[in-house]
Amino acid sequence: MQEAIPYKSHMAATAGGRSRLHNSPERADNGGGRRLVTNDSETSVRKLVVENAVIVFGRRGCCMSHVVNRLLLGLGVNPAVCEVDEEKEEAVLNELSIISGGGIQFPVVFVGGKLFGGLDRVMSTHITGELVPILKEAGALWL
Amino acid sequence: MDFPSTQFVPSRAMGTYEPIHQIGMWGENFKSISNPNISASVIVDVANKLENESETTSHEMLVPSSKHDQEASKPFDKIQRRLAQNREAARKSRLRKKAYVQQLENSRLKLIQLEQELERSRQQGLYVGGGLEAGHLGISGAVNSGIAAFEMGYERWMEEQNKQICELRSALNAQISEIELRILVESGMSHYFELFRMKSSVAKADVFYVMSGKWKTSAERFFAWIGGFRPSELLKVLVPQIDPLTDQQILDVCNLKQSCQQAEDALSQGMEKLRETVSATLASGQMGQGTYVPQVAMAMEKLEALVCFVNQADHLRQETLQQMSYILTTRQAARGLLALGEYIHRLQALSNLWANHPREPA
Repeated sequence: MQEAIPYKSHMAATAGGRSRLHNSPERADNGGGRRLVTNDSETSVRKLVVENAVIVFGRRGCCMSHVVNRLLLGLGVNPAVCEVDEEKEEAVLNELSIISGGGIQFPVVFVGGKLFGGLDRVMSTHITGELVPILKEAGALWL
Repeated sequence: MDFPSTQFVPSRAMGTYEPIHQIGMWGENFKSISNPNISASVIVDVANKLENESETTSHEMLVPSSKHDQEASKPFDKIQRRLAQNREAARKSRLRKKAYVQQLENSRLKLIQLEQELERSRQQGLYVGGGLEAGHLGISGAVNSGIAAFEMGYERWMEEQNKQICELRSALNAQISEIELRILVESGMSHYFELFRMKSSVAKADVFYVMSGKWKTSAERFFAWIGGFRPSELLKVLVPQIDPLTDQQILDVCNLKQSCQQAEDALSQGMEKLRETVSATLASGQMGQGTYVPQVAMAMEKLEALVCFVNQADHLRQETLQQMSYILTTRQAARGLLALGEYIHRLQALSNLWANHPREPA
């Protein structure tokens, strides 16, 4: 099942700290992690999901997204963060629903190219201790 | 309240006793109060009349002293008597007004209570004719009834909690079977889950109510974090009560404590971001012109996230409780629940003691 970690995200993760893709000019406090900006086309969202060990999709400026990001950062994960503008919200939600086969709400986390869940699931699995092994298995965490 | 129709009072000047005949105006109005359909205008009219009466009476009382020297003794008596009667009438009037207003306040409270009960019954699906709902009381009525329902529910919850604590205590002292103890532990946990459900419900009605912890005692509020206990703090308090633990349990509890702290930190930072966001939104644009409706409306939208935070905090408490029940044996879990119950009692006792302890005069 485990496929090799795509080169791009591996490089970015080991580089540490923040790295920015060329099409994301603004700074924003998203709670840390790399910052990506989604384009309109469907493939772009799909690409983000597949190419990143951990990626968090959330509304721009959303405090709950901030919570997810801070929690992941606190664990030593460097999550990719996709801040979705209001206008693109519906489109992105639709696309993510298609990818994952279910109803999606922001903020939403994808791990290892698959849907992981929202803040609820992140919290529950964190408390039960399941979260860290899952992250390690997806290559989001080393140690 | 009973009001006598005649009263004997001493006339100050002459030392004689005179019957005062009361106009039964207040008495008549008292009878109508038991009927909740009071016309507001009647009350206002009566109140106005009273104001005028007591004013004229006191005015009259200022006049007489100049007449005192000029008159012969007989008319003098008459005047003195009349003045005394006026004074007395005014005093009686004031007393009656006070009593009447008190009755009004009580009726008003009763009315609010009845409306809340009505709202509750309606929410429970009993049809009672929707005349008194949203249209009459408006949104604040729905909020108040949500809060009232919660407060009543919490009172019942506390009673049930105390019962369960007593049961746990006697169960642990006696030697009951593992299965029976397990049942008590499960009830205890479910009971807390029930509280989280209640809080979630009232948070939708008024999230600030939950954040303020108004239903709790002062010492409990002192320790509050997003509308309740901080799970990691509770673990610190309770774990020593559950000794002895196996090595594996110690490790598991340690990990749980750390996970709680990490989750709490993430939520706290989220709250901080929310404060910054609301503040920035509220303060956007020029301040000083007195126009700010759009800013306030936008800030309110952001503030809605507070409900999520309260729910997430309670979710964290619930998950922590659940995880502890997996780590501990039945007996240990029972001791933990008992200790938690007693800790809350001690906090409540502290609040009580604080409220009653003598303080230095201001």
